[in-house]
Amino acid sequence: MIVTLHLIALALYAVTTAFVLAPFLGARPAPRALTIALPCAGAAVHVIAISQLRPVGLGPALSMLAFCLVLLQLVSERLLRGSAVSFFAGPLATGLVGLAILSGLAPGAEIGGGGTQSAWFILHVVLSALGLALMALAFIAAALYLLQFRELKARRFGQVFQLFPPLERLDQLNRFALVAGFPSLTMGVLLALGYGAQFSGGLHAAKAQIVWGIFTWVVLGWAVWVRVVRHWAGRRAALASIAGFGAVLLVYVALKLTQPGAERFL
Amino acid sequence: MTGHTDMGIKVVGVNHRTAPLDVRERFTHSAHEVPGALARVMAAGATGGVLLSTCNRTEFYLVADDEPALDAVWSLLGERLETKPAGGAREYGYIARDRDAVRHLYRVSSGLDSMILGESQIQGQVREAWEVSRAQAGPVLHRLFQTALHVGSRVRTETGLGMGTASAASAGVAVAGKIFGDLAGRSALILGAGDMAELAAQCLSDQGVQVTLVANRTRERARAIAERLGGKAVSLEEAWPHFATTDIALCSTAAPHAVVTWERVGGIIGARRGKPLCILDLAVPRDVDPAIAQLENVFLYDVDDLQTVAAQATARRRDEVPSAERIVEQETDLFWAWYGGLGVVPTIKEWRQHMETLRAAELERALRQLSHLSPADRTRIEQFSQALLNKFLHHPTVALKQAAEEGHGYGLLEALRRLFGMEPPA
Repeated sequence: MIVTLHLIALALYAVTTAFVLAPFLGARPAPRALTIALPCAGAAVHVIAISQLRPVGLGPALSMLAFCLVLLQLVSERLLRGSAVSFFAGPLATGLVGLAILSGLAPGAEIGGGGTQSAWFILHVVLSALGLALMALAFIAAALYLLQFRELKARRFGQVFQLFPPLERLDQLNRFALVAGFPSLTMGVLLALGYGAQFSGGLHAAKAQIVWGIFTWVVLGWAVWVRVVRHWAGRRAALASIAGFGAVLLVYVALKLTQPGAERFL
Repeated sequence: MTGHTDMGIKVVGVNHRTAPLDVRERFTHSAHEVPGALARVMAAGATGGVLLSTCNRTEFYLVADDEPALDAVWSLLGERLETKPAGGAREYGYIARDRDAVRHLYRVSSGLDSMILGESQIQGQVREAWEVSRAQAGPVLHRLFQTALHVGSRVRTETGLGMGTASAASAGVAVAGKIFGDLAGRSALILGAGDMAELAAQCLSDQGVQVTLVANRTRERARAIAERLGGKAVSLEEAWPHFATTDIALCSTAAPHAVVTWERVGGIIGARRGKPLCILDLAVPRDVDPAIAQLENVFLYDVDDLQTVAAQATARRRDEVPSAERIVEQETDLFWAWYGGLGVVPTIKEWRQHMETLRAAELERALRQLSHLSPADRTRIEQFSQALLNKFLHHPTVALKQAAEEGHGYGLLEALRRLFGMEPPA
């Protein structure tokens, strides 16, 4: 049932992605109502699936991340009055759900105690996923910003110019995503530390996850600091967001390859 | 192509389709240069001339023989080129003759030939060109330009070709919107106080942009616009420091060279700490040194860029093109009928006079040999000769007038002159 619901959500996200990318292939843009209704339906199915998941292991974590991303995509679409965020968020969410299904949606190796069912643990997963999704959204806004920036500087007035939002709005979205993501991830990391100390017999048992979580938190904190305290904006801030997100992904891959036991969570 | 290839209506020029902006800039003639340029072409044999020079086209409308006058135009334009291609200015240009030339001007004044389909600014530019060239236009071009304005009005009222906003000015607003999002509350600095500057400033103001300064060489004109838009009038020199704070700089001066140079504003823009600056350069020749665009936070767009954007908004105007073309064709027919008739009337008059002279001479010679005739018989013979001449002339006269109405008069007139040994017209 969980897999079936995920497959339905995957199909709806994939169709949305095809619709939003169609103008780049020369097709007529799909009606806006359709590009909103389809991911909404997908998110509705997805939330039913997530409610039946045990939030442990790579598959459920990716599914949760994809769900948060789709929610943020819908909110951004509303704020930006356009479907530009879907250009990146759509394929990303679709890919994450696909990976979640491939990784297996049943929990991986259990970690000690009954902590995985506790409200604190679920809150940790939700807040961490939300923080990461907001970071991904900041990355998407930054990427869109740089693409639009390049087109405007090069005086090219094609599909990117037509379909992407104004630079200023993308900059604001990037700032909002970073600023909103930081407290969410902070709470997620703190809850993970507390959870690790209470149920896993100390932090060492989940070292890789803790290292990655703290690294991600530091990177996000740095991105927020340069935006809020140092007043970075525009292209420089976009590059910082992309560099930060890239570093987080890189460290994740490195930990997966080098640290035994990392597969239990992310 | 119809009719003759000698003396007739010609259009010689370059436009946005045949020449890039940097070439068109060089061919642009300001109002005070027009009489001199036309005088030079007319000295080469043209009997009438109008020079239409806008940012998108420089066109000489002439009543002229083919070669000498056209060569004079190419030579005149070629002198303005910095680097000359093998074929000179000719490589960038085109020629249309007679009916095609008439149709061309009608399409120009209707906005059918504009980079931004259906744009209305060209109508004013055609009127201005006609007025500036009035002394040298001659009767045919007077009539042609008068009717061109009528055709432009007809197309705009009877079709939807002018609907929506697809001008360079509105494209400037669209581009600024892609940088800043909501334009309400943004500040704009206007350089120049011409019609284009005012139109573009009004477009920005309509979007909620606060026009803070209007800078111009003459402060009086700047003051008039500044008062209308709620800004302050300053001289150009006073405007440079404001590049540090303004969001949008709209440049449309009539200066013959760049006024916004790296030396003047490069350092000032550098002090913006990355804050974006949108510069809309609507002037031809360009007002802004292209090097300014190298600054990371500067988004510089010239007329070609904005017209590219605006051209994208013309898709729905395209549906109106067939209706507009029909009007142009109807009006071309009307003008051509008038133009054909214009030459026919004096030629017929001259031909009849020629024939009458022949008749009178032959009658006199005949009557000299018939001196025995009574006065009544002499009168009868004179009436006979007159009636015979009228009979001979009637059908050719009707045929000539009809051909003229159909726009084919010139060919027959040429034949008539040859057949009857009449002198070509002066």
